[in-house]
Amino acid sequence: MDDIEQLVANLSKEARAVQAAPRPWLLGLRWLAIAGAYIVVALAISGLRPDLALQLREPQFIAELAALLAILVATALSAAILAFPDLHQQRRAAFAPAWAFASFALLMFFSWRADVPPAPLPQHNIECTLSILLFSLLPSAWIFYALRRFASTHLRTSGMVAVLFAFSTGALWLRLHEQTNSIIHLVEWHYLPMIAVAALGWWLGRVLLKW
Amino acid sequence: MTADGTLAGYHAPVSFSLHATVTDTDDNLAELMRLSLNGDQRAYATLLLETARLLRPFLSRRLRSSSEVDDLLQEILLSIHKARHTYDGKRPYKPWAYAIARFRLLDHLRAHYADHLRDAEDYDELEEILPDDVTEAELSYESISKEVEKLPEKQATILRLMHQDGYTAREVAAKIGMTETAVKVAAHRAYKILRERLER
Repeated sequence: MDDIEQLVANLSKEARAVQAAPRPWLLGLRWLAIAGAYIVVALAISGLRPDLALQLREPQFIAELAALLAILVATALSAAILAFPDLHQQRRAAFAPAWAFASFALLMFFSWRADVPPAPLPQHNIECTLSILLFSLLPSAWIFYALRRFASTHLRTSGMVAVLFAFSTGALWLRLHEQTNSIIHLVEWHYLPMIAVAALGWWLGRVLLKW
Repeated sequence: MTADGTLAGYHAPVSFSLHATVTDTDDNLAELMRLSLNGDQRAYATLLLETARLLRPFLSRRLRSSSEVDDLLQEILLSIHKARHTYDGKRPYKPWAYAIARFRLLDHLRAHYADHLRDAEDYDELEEILPDDVTEAELSYESISKEVEKLPEKQATILRLMHQDGYTAREVAAKIGMTETAVKVAAHRAYKILRERLER
C-alpha cells in the first residue's frame, strides 16, 4: 500500500496539463486526408489509367472503387477507435471493416459471375501485389507510428486494421493507375493478398504497438 | 478544490488516503480526470488513489498473492498515467480504466503462465538426462532434494521455492529481494549444476 501511495505521489508530482487526444472520427478523418493526399501525389507521378474516363461510366468499376473506398474509410475509423484503450466506448464501430470486407467480397463474387466472357488476363501477375506492397510501405510505417502515440489494448487487431488500411490505399492507387479489367487477376493478385497482409499485421501489432 | 479539501461540486470530501470516503461514481472520477488533464496535481493524486481502490478487488479476485496484486496495480497506475491523454473526460471513466486494467492483467497472466511453462521445460530437460532407475521411480523434487541442498544456498532456496512450493520466478524474486532476471539466471545455473551432477 505504501508503494502505491509513493507511486501516486511521484506520478502526480510530474503531472502537467495534457491535451486530450482528438475524437476518433476526427483522427480517422485526418488519416484519410493524408492517405488521400498520398494517393493523389502518387497518381500525379505514376499517371492515371488511360481508359479511366471510359471506366467511370461502368457501374461495376464505380461499385468496386466505392467498395475499396469504404474499406479505406472503415479501416481508418476502426484504427482510430482501436487506438483508445476503451475503444472510445464504440466497440461496434471498431469492427466496421468486417462489414466493408464482406460487402467487397460479395461485390467481387457478382463481378466474377458477370465477367462473361472473361476479360483477357494481363501479362503480369505478382508484380501487382508487389507494387501494392511497395506503395503501402510508407502508409504502414506512418500509421504504426501514429498508433504508437496512443494506447491500444487490442494490439493484434489494431496491427491488422492498420496494415489493411495501408494496403487498401495501395489497392486503390493501383486500380486507378493500371489498365486491367480481369476480375480473376484482380481477385488473385490485388485483393487475395490482403489475407496474408492481415496476418502480417496481426503479428506486427503485437510487436510494434506494445506500450 | 475548496480550502477544506473538498472538491467543488462534490458530494463527499476528497482526501489523499486510500481509505478515504470519496464517492467513486463515474461522474466524480471523470471530473477528477478532467481536472487532472488541466494540470491539477491534487485531483490527479486523488484520482489515482481512487482508481487503485476501485481496481484492487477486481485484481484480488483474479490473482493469488497480495504482492502480485500490488505489483500489477502499480503497473496499471503507470499505464493509466501514460495513456491519460486518450481520455477526454467526456465519456465514463470506469470503462476506460478497466480496459487498461484488463489489458495489463492479461499481459501479466500470459507472462506468468509462460514463466511456469519455461520452468516446467527446464525440469523436463533435467528429467530426460537422469539415470533410468531414477526416472522409472518417477522424478519429483523430493527425489533430487539431497542434490538440491548441496547447491549454493541462494540457488537451493530458489529451486525449493519454485519446485517445492510452486512459486513463479517473479514471485520468488519478490520474496527474496532479487530481480526476476537474476532469479532466472540463478535457476538456470542451478539446473546446469544439477544436470552435470546427475549425469555422472
